[in-house]
Amino acid sequence: MSATAAPTGVRPRPGSELSALALAGLWRMVRWLKILVPFAVLVAVWWAIKASGDFPDNILVSPLQAWRTFVHLVSHGVMAEYASTSLTMIGISALISTSIGVPIGFAVGVNRYAAHSLEGFLRFLQGISGIAWLPLAIIWFGFSHTTTLVIVIYTLIVPIVFNTMIGVRAIPENYVLALRSLGAGRMRLVTDVYLPGALPSIVVGLRLGMGYGWRALIAAEMLVRKGGLGDLIFGARTFGQIDRIIVGMITIGCLYIVVDRLLVQPIENVTIARWGLLRK
Amino acid sequence: MSVPAAIMRRPAHNALGRLVWRLLPAVPFVLILLAWAIGWAVFHPNKATLPSVGDVLEVVWTRARDGELGTHIFASLWRLLLGAGVGIVTGIIGGFIAGLYRNVSEFLNPLVVFFNAISGIVWLPLMIGWLGIGTALAVFLIWNTVFFIVFQNTVLGVQLVPEVFEQGVRALGGGRFETIRSVILPGALPYILTGIRSGLGFGWRALIAAELVGTPNGLGQMIFAAADYHRSDIIIAGCLIIGAIAIAMDRWLLLPIERRTIERWGLVIDATREDRT
Amino acid sequence: MSAPAPDVHDKIVVSGFRHFFDTADGSVQATDTVDVRIRAGEFVTLVGPSGCGKTTLLKAIAGFIRPTEGTIHCDGNLVRAPGRERGVVFQELAILPWRTVRKNIGHGLEIAGVRRAERAQTVSRLIELTGLVGFEDRYPHELSGGMRQRVAVARTWAADPDVILMDEPFAAVDAMTRLTLQEELARLCAATNKTVFFITHSVDEAVFLGDRVLVMTRRPGRIKAVIEVPRRARGGRNWESFTADPQMQGIAEQVLRLVRAERGAGPANEEKPARAAGATT
Repeated sequence: MSATAAPTGVRPRPGSELSALALAGLWRMVRWLKILVPFAVLVAVWWAIKASGDFPDNILVSPLQAWRTFVHLVSHGVMAEYASTSLTMIGISALISTSIGVPIGFAVGVNRYAAHSLEGFLRFLQGISGIAWLPLAIIWFGFSHTTTLVIVIYTLIVPIVFNTMIGVRAIPENYVLALRSLGAGRMRLVTDVYLPGALPSIVVGLRLGMGYGWRALIAAEMLVRKGGLGDLIFGARTFGQIDRIIVGMITIGCLYIVVDRLLVQPIENVTIARWGLLRK
Repeated sequence: MSVPAAIMRRPAHNALGRLVWRLLPAVPFVLILLAWAIGWAVFHPNKATLPSVGDVLEVVWTRARDGELGTHIFASLWRLLLGAGVGIVTGIIGGFIAGLYRNVSEFLNPLVVFFNAISGIVWLPLMIGWLGIGTALAVFLIWNTVFFIVFQNTVLGVQLVPEVFEQGVRALGGGRFETIRSVILPGALPYILTGIRSGLGFGWRALIAAELVGTPNGLGQMIFAAADYHRSDIIIAGCLIIGAIAIAMDRWLLLPIERRTIERWGLVIDATREDRT
Repeated sequence: MSAPAPDVHDKIVVSGFRHFFDTADGSVQATDTVDVRIRAGEFVTLVGPSGCGKTTLLKAIAGFIRPTEGTIHCDGNLVRAPGRERGVVFQELAILPWRTVRKNIGHGLEIAGVRRAERAQTVSRLIELTGLVGFEDRYPHELSGGMRQRVAVARTWAADPDVILMDEPFAAVDAMTRLTLQEELARLCAATNKTVFFITHSVDEAVFLGDRVLVMTRRPGRIKAVIEVPRRARGGRNWESFTADPQMQGIAEQVLRLVRAERGAGPANEEKPARAAGATT
């Protein structure tokens, strides 16, 4: 069609330019459809199950009802409040974990003995998920935001330290040697070699950590009950408000995807893909 | 300007050096234990807040002796086995179907991404209503966690098997089933095994979370019940055991399996190592 | 064969150098006693079979390893650590993937604190000399292996070290590009007059590029011969004239024979030395 490249020396006619634009727009629409159609099917199945089966409202609600509850919660600012609490929590935790975890990972990574020493310990800590420490944290800090923060920071910091460490260790020795032969001192090596070199791994660690951390956050909120989406859905359980639970779950899922795709992935793209270090 | 040790000195290859290398991983643990014991002796905190090392050891000893610890451990492991078992089987089967048929994987992808985002404990409030408190709930949460990981890794593994291999078998006269059996299954195996290893790690963690809320027994429940009585010695003991089992499972069960199959076949793939943490 | 006293024109003096490595199988001797002298402005090549210890020697001169025995001096100063007076060009994995060509080449100057304007000038000049025009703002992963090595060479040259050590820099590049790079290197040296120490296991490369060719025995290596290559203009050096020149070919044959004699004795120098040697030295 006219969307194909015009022969050299001939400028495309205005009409064909429009067709090209239309085609591009069509492609974008198709991509969006590819994402929306499966969910549409899912909702249809959901609706069918509710409609056909004899499920009372305290077991399953219909999509329509869930939507109404969602609108209700949003318009009364309830959703905003719970969601912002969760997002604030994960945001603060991410900031603190990164600012503590990356330097530690670096300090350990540059020395192979320290790295070998800490590796097993970090895996051990990872095996004891943040959630397992919740009871202890509750004893120490009570049912408070501090408890939630401590648990989520713990959950985030382990993969960040671990990945920073292996990121540093994975840097080819030649880079360091080459820079030393150019007269680089310790500080230079850190800024010019270690930091950029470890960055891909650090970003991976951050991404993984956010995944674990988000889940740990929801779990902590369920037990601590001081706000946040975990509190919302767990609280709704007590009152049998299935509609709220479902709305909460969907929100949790969507928010995670938004944070991951809109925040973390761009970081990955701008740095790593540009440097050709992404293994996609 | 001194040269960093990493460049100038190699780890010694004599017997003493090797021994030190082997012992290094124990150092952080020893340091923490020392700090704990010393801190306790100096500050004498409230037992409910921070028990002494001896208290924790005593808890472990008494509970192990009267079989209570064993009961909890077995209960937890049994749930893990159930949930992870079903999760692995369904994940592999689902992953194969999706991996082999492009339309299926394209269709399912947005759904998988979404449900992965809410996998595990997020289902707890909803599922309590449907399954009640107990083993069924825990098994569901584990299945949920393990399934998505194994599924995604399997799909990746199946899709990444170089087409050339498949074509080779076809050229030898092999049909669809033969291709799957001799090419795709072994080809995807590294990813599948990574998925299983990852999934089990996640599943174990999800299990503890599930047990925190409501099962009659299990390590998670043991910890949570202890919180009510402010028995931090039990909590710490429980946490340490949870971590120990996680490591033991990974090192002595999964790693050897991985080694015996894919490393032996020279199929180790670097990209998947990220899933390890 | 005791060496005459070092004089003021010696850039690098390697004296009594002998090196051992610690491996899982015990101590392994990497080199036998080596004495080398490199004068200012010389292009010295070192050729020898794989595993003979030439890389070990280069690493010691660079300061990456500390000799088990012997000393190395650069401009009269004892070599203990890497430094900017001894630049190194590696075979691969040397230029930073997160910097553009331009920023890689200017890296040494950046470290030395050279002002931006002056830096840009030097970098541009080197980009021209190494044939990288048009690629200044590309990242390494967008370049071929040959281009990357050009960047590595340019970077080291830009930093203006006293001595340039090159560790088989063209070994990982395809054969055709390799020839081009060698010619370019010859031209670059003509334009800049540097002291270079270049190790390789290609005899042709060693004779084409070098003013003096050192031949190393197999492991544990020592210098068994020093062949002078009559001075000829570096600027116009190319492979056609080299292959057509009977004197050059004669020298190449001579060196080849010397090197071949080392290879003759079997797998000892290719296999893991500890096992083949049996007892530790």
